[in-house]
Amino acid sequence: MYGSPPLVRLAPLLLLLIAGFVLPHLLRQYFLFLGNILMMYAVLALGLDILLGWAGQFAFAHIAFFGIGTYATALLHARLGVPFVIAMPLAALLAGLIGLLIGFPATRLRTVYLALATFAFAEGAQWVFNAWDKVTGGADGLRISAPTVFGYATGTDPTAFPVMAAILALMIAATMYLTTSRLGRAMCAVRESEHVAAASGIDVRGTKIWAFAISAVYAGVAGGMYTLFQSFVNPEVFGFSQIVLLLSMVVVGGLGSIPGALIGVALLGLLPEIMRTTMRSLLIWQEFAYGVILILVIMFMPRGIWGMIVALRNRKRTHA
Amino acid sequence: MWPLVLQGVASGIVTGCVYALIAISLVIVYKSSDVINFAGGEMVMLGGYLGMFALLGLGLPYLFVFPFAALVIFAIGALFDRIVLTRTLRRAVPGQSVLVAMVIGTVGLSYVIKGAVRVVPYTEEVRRLPPISAGQPIFLGPVVLQHQDVAITLAAIVIMAALWAFFGFTIIGKALRATSQNPRAAALVGIPVRLMSMTAWGLAAALAGVAGVLLAPKLLLTPDSGIVVILALAAAIIGGFTSLPGCVAGGILLGVVQNMIGQFVSSRAISLAPFLVIMLVLLVRPQGLFAGRPTTKKV
Repeated sequence: MYGSPPLVRLAPLLLLLIAGFVLPHLLRQYFLFLGNILMMYAVLALGLDILLGWAGQFAFAHIAFFGIGTYATALLHARLGVPFVIAMPLAALLAGLIGLLIGFPATRLRTVYLALATFAFAEGAQWVFNAWDKVTGGADGLRISAPTVFGYATGTDPTAFPVMAAILALMIAATMYLTTSRLGRAMCAVRESEHVAAASGIDVRGTKIWAFAISAVYAGVAGGMYTLFQSFVNPEVFGFSQIVLLLSMVVVGGLGSIPGALIGVALLGLLPEIMRTTMRSLLIWQEFAYGVILILVIMFMPRGIWGMIVALRNRKRTHA
Repeated sequence: MWPLVLQGVASGIVTGCVYALIAISLVIVYKSSDVINFAGGEMVMLGGYLGMFALLGLGLPYLFVFPFAALVIFAIGALFDRIVLTRTLRRAVPGQSVLVAMVIGTVGLSYVIKGAVRVVPYTEEVRRLPPISAGQPIFLGPVVLQHQDVAITLAAIVIMAALWAFFGFTIIGKALRATSQNPRAAALVGIPVRLMSMTAWGLAAALAGVAGVLLAPKLLLTPDSGIVVILALAAAIIGGFTSLPGCVAGGILLGVVQNMIGQFVSSRAISLAPFLVIMLVLLVRPQGLFAGRPTTKKV
């Protein structure tokens, strides 16, 4: 799968776009809110998967870039009056730049050390969001004024929905192109073996740093998406539990595959909602159940749900 | 000014000793299975709650509370290794990092412990354990130490000495070290490697649990108390993440630095200190402050 993906594979994205415009007229507000949340998480998960699933770098900094993207978009819009269509790419770029800066020293580290350093960075960033209250509003939070996209007012769930769907479709398409590109293959090679990759003439460090920066851009975009349908942000949104949730989504769905990341997002994103509506008395067990699911998945589905589906499909094919 | 510094150093040493115990627990796990135990903090928290249950629920004296908490959490750690990690390692997919799966496993365990503790009616209110030992405060020159601070420090030192003797002089301790250095060679000379991994996990878990009992009278115990693990991570990193004496030095250094920052910079900056320490040490001296040369494993 080298080169650009065939156009047929882009067809589902068209469906996503159409759904984005049709569904707000059909669904209740609550479901649209859920949809918006899931689409935001999908972009976050796709970005994390680039770093973790494709380039094989175990880092925790993703949530910090998400925060940077959110605050940057909101502040550019509120303080400087920059329109959303410019503010969001700028914020994503800023996240990417900081990702690049973090990538340089971080890629000297490996495995556990990388995980710890980026974990510390994420916690430090959250501390800054809290302490820099002149800009971010500190723990009291920041009100987000509803952005307009090309004259189209968003800020509520039904109005944000089509824009969110369009951004998600764009990011999925970008991921398809990225993962089949030369850089994408280089990332896989680095993941499989840094030594073999280096021996085949791949710039290992450069590839890692690019993976860092690109993954940060995704998180920045997701931060921009946050401002489309939420009216308030505080540092709580960017805590450790969020990065754990994202990691779990990617691992449960299946590392290194676009459908895997999306399945993981849908499953773990909906789980608390399903529990809330159908098993109210069991809600207190949510944390426990979540831990059990994580443990069961790594024990019985090492390639995640999507990996299992692919394996089943291949087995059927060889039997036939 | 000077008495303040001395007082800060003394209190720093007390908390630092407990951080060191948790850090040692993390390092034992890391040395045995190359993974950070993200459930370490929850094991500490569970230790605190088990201590509370034994003290207030069963009415045991403190002397029996420690072995009780240690045994229960030893079992949890050993079983987690046996049931979850063994299976994960065996089913590992080539080319995909086993590390990610194992770390997710420990995160899963941390949620299981936290979730289970939250469900127990015992934890609805915030509680504090009675002091380990009551008595007159102890005056050392200008420094005042509470009676239980001295008890905590002594307990921590006794445990550290016991660990040193265990790893240095007992056959199991030596087998654990051999397994950590080279599992294949250890298996060849007849060391039951799987059993050693279980022992290491159990031991590390028990250590975290005991640290939890020691910390509980000083902290407010909530199901989210596991966050203390961040301080232990920082302590372990200062020590290079592979050396047990490094953990002790790192823990005490961190405890003292925290107190100094709290007294002379701002109380708000205390919570940032461990993260800054982690990042700085990893970027400047990943081998830790005390090691001579990098000890990163070559592939």
